[in-house]
Amino acid sequence: MSKQYLSCGSADNAHPTDIFSLAVTDKQILSASGVSSLKVHSTTDSDFPLVQSISGAHRVGCHQVVANGNGSRAVSVGFGGEIRVWSCHNGTWSEDETASVGSAGSADIWAIALSEDGQYLAGASQDGHIRVWDLSACGEQIRDYETKGSFGTCIDLSADGRFIASGHENGSVYIFSTETGRMPFSLSGLVKPVRAVAFSPRGKFLAAAGDSKVIVLYDTVSGEQVANLSGHSAWVLSLSWSHTGEYLLSGSFDGKVKVWSIDTRACVTTHSEMESVVWNVKWLPKTGKSERFAAAGANRSISFYREATCG
Amino acid sequence: MIPVIAVIMISYVLGQVQQYIDETLASALDELSTLDGRPAITLRRKSRKASLFINPTNGALENGGTETHITYTWPGRNTHEAWKFSIVFRVLAVIADAIDTGLMISKRDIYYSDPSCFKNQKVVDTIIDDLAYTIGVDRSALNVDAAAKGLVAGYYRLLRKSGEIMDAQSPAKDSLVPSSHHVGDIDLSDASWVLIIEKEAVYRRLVRSNYHTRAAAGKGILVTGKGYPDLSTRAFIRKLFENSRHLDRVLPFYALVDSDPDGMAIMSTYKYGSMAHTSQNRRLNVPCLWWLGLRTSDVVTGASSNDAEALIRLTSRDRQKIIAMLLNNPVCAAEGPELEWRMELQQMLMLNLKAEIEILYDRNRGLEGWIDWKMASPLPQQNN
Repeated sequence: MSKQYLSCGSADNAHPTDIFSLAVTDKQILSASGVSSLKVHSTTDSDFPLVQSISGAHRVGCHQVVANGNGSRAVSVGFGGEIRVWSCHNGTWSEDETASVGSAGSADIWAIALSEDGQYLAGASQDGHIRVWDLSACGEQIRDYETKGSFGTCIDLSADGRFIASGHENGSVYIFSTETGRMPFSLSGLVKPVRAVAFSPRGKFLAAAGDSKVIVLYDTVSGEQVANLSGHSAWVLSLSWSHTGEYLLSGSFDGKVKVWSIDTRACVTTHSEMESVVWNVKWLPKTGKSERFAAAGANRSISFYREATCG
Repeated sequence: MIPVIAVIMISYVLGQVQQYIDETLASALDELSTLDGRPAITLRRKSRKASLFINPTNGALENGGTETHITYTWPGRNTHEAWKFSIVFRVLAVIADAIDTGLMISKRDIYYSDPSCFKNQKVVDTIIDDLAYTIGVDRSALNVDAAAKGLVAGYYRLLRKSGEIMDAQSPAKDSLVPSSHHVGDIDLSDASWVLIIEKEAVYRRLVRSNYHTRAAAGKGILVTGKGYPDLSTRAFIRKLFENSRHLDRVLPFYALVDSDPDGMAIMSTYKYGSMAHTSQNRRLNVPCLWWLGLRTSDVVTGASSNDAEALIRLTSRDRQKIIAMLLNNPVCAAEGPELEWRMELQQMLMLNLKAEIEILYDRNRGLEGWIDWKMASPLPQQNN
């Protein structure tokens, strides 16, 4: 069964360089790129207007920005390794004076994830450590998991905050329990660099993908591989689950964006409008009838799509 | 008319150097002949950690920073100062001698005249740069040349200042980059392109296969500075560039470098100049230099599953070097002239990968076919 997603607008030339990361809140989308400023576009207006430009955020550029669910807090990490925390008041973002990242800014952190309430920041470091900081307690480091030392390329926190998953350059994927501080699973299956990991909304599955071009689904209870989604012909760089957990979105190095049905384990739609790398894809909150998603990368614009509702 | 002006300029510069040497030596002698005299020498120096910017008129990387003065006296406060004083005078004496006799000497010659005294080559290099800057002349006006390191092959004809013509057009023959001091004009009427290559190994392969004779884009010139180029290689390429402007067509200059931070820094050195010795850049930069490759995307998109070893992970030094370039080199700044270079450096960080030109050897078209294909794509608009 195929599904149609139609282009429903774009924030053209949102940045002067590649857009590396998107973060979605209930009303806005934040984007980070190779220049110093972060951009904020409204997703409640069908024209996706620019509502704020946070200038001077990261001098050498920013490769990842994350936000918590209700859109009260965001965290960004720059190419230089510096981490900044932002808070939102009445739709306007500013540096969060109440939060501190403590030692996180000097820990060679590459990938980050933020808990739903915005209190905990998890990070994967270049030397393969997975750490957690409490932003409300002066950035105190509360967890430090050691892995085999391979570059931590991506990280995700489950929605309930109980698990952390990390992906590494050597193909390793790990799941950690934040409660016990233990590592229940070292997941097998990928041998090439992993570039994205994502928990399904209720935490039943973990999706992981990267240079092997296949998306692997793991059962988070058993640690078993339950599906291989193949179809991308280039490296998969990002993954995002729809809010119901029915669909998985993926973006790849050759500019393709795919939507996968978890029920049928099949690709239901492929978009190939972009000719060069798609760095990040994200579902937007559901407003009205149809699901929407955003994709961004080397074409410097944020493209929006919505599900075609027929009849 | 022009040669007359040139002769006047040369003798003016020579006079300036001669005058500086005479005055410095005379005042030191005066001091020495008085009781409690303290001979001293003061060098001017552009502060190294300064504000670099790209001069919009000539496209060169320049230094807007402040100037510092540093004075060494004899016997000085400590042995270090005494040593500094004596080596500056030794270098000055060698230069005075070279100018007297009209011979060119190399920085290596000076160092090897007394290695235990100078300790290392860099000490000599720094003093020479400081002296040239203090006097306000080009290093070559001190009759000091770096020993040529670069290699060149292809279709150009040198008209030496002596009037002799050196024809480089015999195929499969390459030579050391000639000292620009001895080169008058260069006849480029048979060349259709100039390819600047980072690595000697790649250069040698192209020379062996006679690429400069049989490229799809026509006959051309291959040059390498063997890594970071020295001043004489840059001066020669600049001379090629200046002479190309007399042609009634555009002679494209291409750079072929590794997809890694050093490759990008080397290309930046050719096009904008060196970050360490900014005072020479306006005479050495090649503002119209087109980046042929290698780009990470060239490698990733061409990557079949058995070619994964072509991609190499960045070392932590590579990552630090990229971040330093993004921070300090105005060429790669967000507001700078080479946004594409900035993107390439950031893409390396994103993917944590780099690649070497040699990976093209095994591609379908081979290195030569790949260059043919890249040169066939249209040149982007350049401002200069």
